Amino acid sequence: MRFRFCGDLDCPDWVLAEMSTLARMSSVKMKLLCVQVIKDLLDEGIDYDKVSKLTSDAKFESGDIKASIAVLSFILSSAAKHDVDSDSLSSELQQLGLPKEHTTGLCKSYEDKHSALQEKLREISLRLGRLEAVNWRVDYTLSSSELKQVNEPTVQLKLQAQDPETDSTQTTVVTITADKFRVLLTELKQAQTMMNALQ
Amino acid sequence: MLLVLSEEHKEHLGFLSEVDPAVVGEFGRIAVEFLKKGSNPKIYEGAARKLNVSSESVQHGVEGLMYLLTESSKLMISEVDFQDSVLVLGFSEELNQLLLQLYLENRKEIRQILGKLAPSLPHYHNLEWRLDVQLASRALRHQVKPTVTLKLHLEDGAKRSARVLQTDPATLQHLIHELERALAELKSSHCRRILRNIK
Repeated sequence: MRFRFCGDLDCPDWVLAEMSTLARMSSVKMKLLCVQVIKDLLDEGIDYDKVSKLTSDAKFESGDIKASIAVLSFILSSAAKHDVDSDSLSSELQQLGLPKEHTTGLCKSYEDKHSALQEKLREISLRLGRLEAVNWRVDYTLSSSELKQVNEPTVQLKLQAQDPETDSTQTTVVTITADKFRVLLTELKQAQTMMNALQ
Repeated sequence: MLLVLSEEHKEHLGFLSEVDPAVVGEFGRIAVEFLKKGSNPKIYEGAARKLNVSSESVQHGVEGLMYLLTESSKLMISEVDFQDSVLVLGFSEELNQLLLQLYLENRKEIRQILGKLAPSLPHYHNLEWRLDVQLASRALRHQVKPTVTLKLHLEDGAKRSARVLQTDPATLQHLIHELERALAELKSSHCRRILRNIK
């Protein structure tokens, strides 16, 4: 059976198995649990004490608590990933066996935070070598050991970028003459025009 | 298969016959704790003071027990062989039974710990991917070149490393095809025959 929130693939077996665990909680408590899970997905921190209070009524063991958090994380992040609207999500979850009140609660939380979730997922998408800082300085060389009167302006550029493999910051310093810098600037401006055309 | 114990080992274990069986049981528990979490020399001092012997003999006794347990678990010797090997030490029947119980209860866990000591290669931890389309470069405008960028996270014991790879969709298809063939190889009759014989 293909599900849109799983990206038009079969639903994983473990998700199906945990539907009965979720149904053991009352729908109100499950909605509050959803709010906590969404906070965790948005990196706002999850309050495990609140979670254990919410699940204590249904007498969840630690394995059940972990499973229910995992399955809610999966459903919410997968639905946001594939841009599923809350009505389709609701009908698909009911097909999987989640009771109606639970489904309505979950979809309401999903709809509220839909765009925030997608923003966060866009932020954590793979990006290599992010540019973190650019510093520059213009110097004027008067003379050198090779030539008495040099009289040439130069630009010193300090680029701080993230190394793609180790995720640590690498600093590169380059000195550029006026002509070379003009070429660099023109080419970068052309690239910028192309990027703006795409926006 | 019988365990062959060296003279030194027999001497260390000889200390155990001089104390109460209850104390031997305690030593056995300490030995298993040390195997799971690493040894703690302070415990030797405390035990030596209580028994009125040198802490060195306590240490030898516990370490002798640890070695006896690891060797027996490593070779997965049967009950009968274990009893015969221990008979050489000339312990009382009660002590022999105690040691046998210790061995049988902890065998599985000790084998799990020993399994982790084998050298290992870095293994899969996480895979992030991104699909890009190159539209233009400094040298050529109006291109359409799709590429897939992968960041493969690997784990080797405690160390995490990451590799950045890039491929075009055709190579990715080939890669997927080859990996699926590798998985399918598990279901071939040749592989099944071998797995049946190992079990």
